[in-house]
Amino acid sequence: MEHNEIGKYTRSFGLSFAITSVISALLVILKESNEETILAWMKVATGHHWVTHGLFNIILFSALGWALSRPNNGQGVKISANVLVICIASAVILSDLLIAGFYA
Amino acid sequence: MENVLLLLHPATGGLATLAALWVFVDTLNAGEASLARIRNISIACAFLMWLTYFLGGYWYVNFYGADKALIKAGPWAFGHNFFMEVKEHVFLMLLLLATYLPIASSNNLHINKAARKVVLWTAGLIVPTSLAMEGSGAVISIAVKIALLLKGQGG
Repeated sequence: MEHNEIGKYTRSFGLSFAITSVISALLVILKESNEETILAWMKVATGHHWVTHGLFNIILFSALGWALSRPNNGQGVKISANVLVICIASAVILSDLLIAGFYA
Repeated sequence: MENVLLLLHPATGGLATLAALWVFVDTLNAGEASLARIRNISIACAFLMWLTYFLGGYWYVNFYGADKALIKAGPWAFGHNFFMEVKEHVFLMLLLLATYLPIASSNNLHINKAARKVVLWTAGLIVPTSLAMEGSGAVISIAVKIALLLKGQGG
């Protein structure tokens, strides 16, 4: 028998990926546009801005994924597979366009 | 040491891409017998992508400086200014997407059409993005080669 309910971590971490991906792309623009402040701080934090950026992404992805699995009495955020897939695909395309567009 | 890292980085990246493609194809016809295999290959994809991240990241942070200076002084400066800049930042997103693949594959795919759709899209997005990373790496390598050739000719 076919089911159409996806697991709560599939929903929460899928949504977390979409949000983190777009925030990461925006951080690229933000840090490269503010070399004396944000980029300089990110370099000081770990020794390299890219390492800080990666750590920020991993922490945000993990924290958001966990947080979004908590609502609705621990059942996690309610979202259909179709909407989740649209969020994931849109985030990938938007992030790619933001990053490539910035450096083009 | 750095040359070995430079070879291993695209090799593990290529294997991660193949793993994602495997997951995509296997999920198209997911059955009870293929469930464990899909989950294991999804984990392998994530593991290989993390390995690619550490290998490439260590090389980038510690050894890329000299190549970057060469590329920026050469005729293919876009090898760094566009391709490396885009690659290093899109890869951070790709790493999370590959990390998400085993999570999406943890559902009972053989009886869950919605879960299969999520896995197909996730694996399906990893493949072209990874190939774009491999292609960018090739452009960066050629940019270094051209810069070195010109430098050797006194150009």
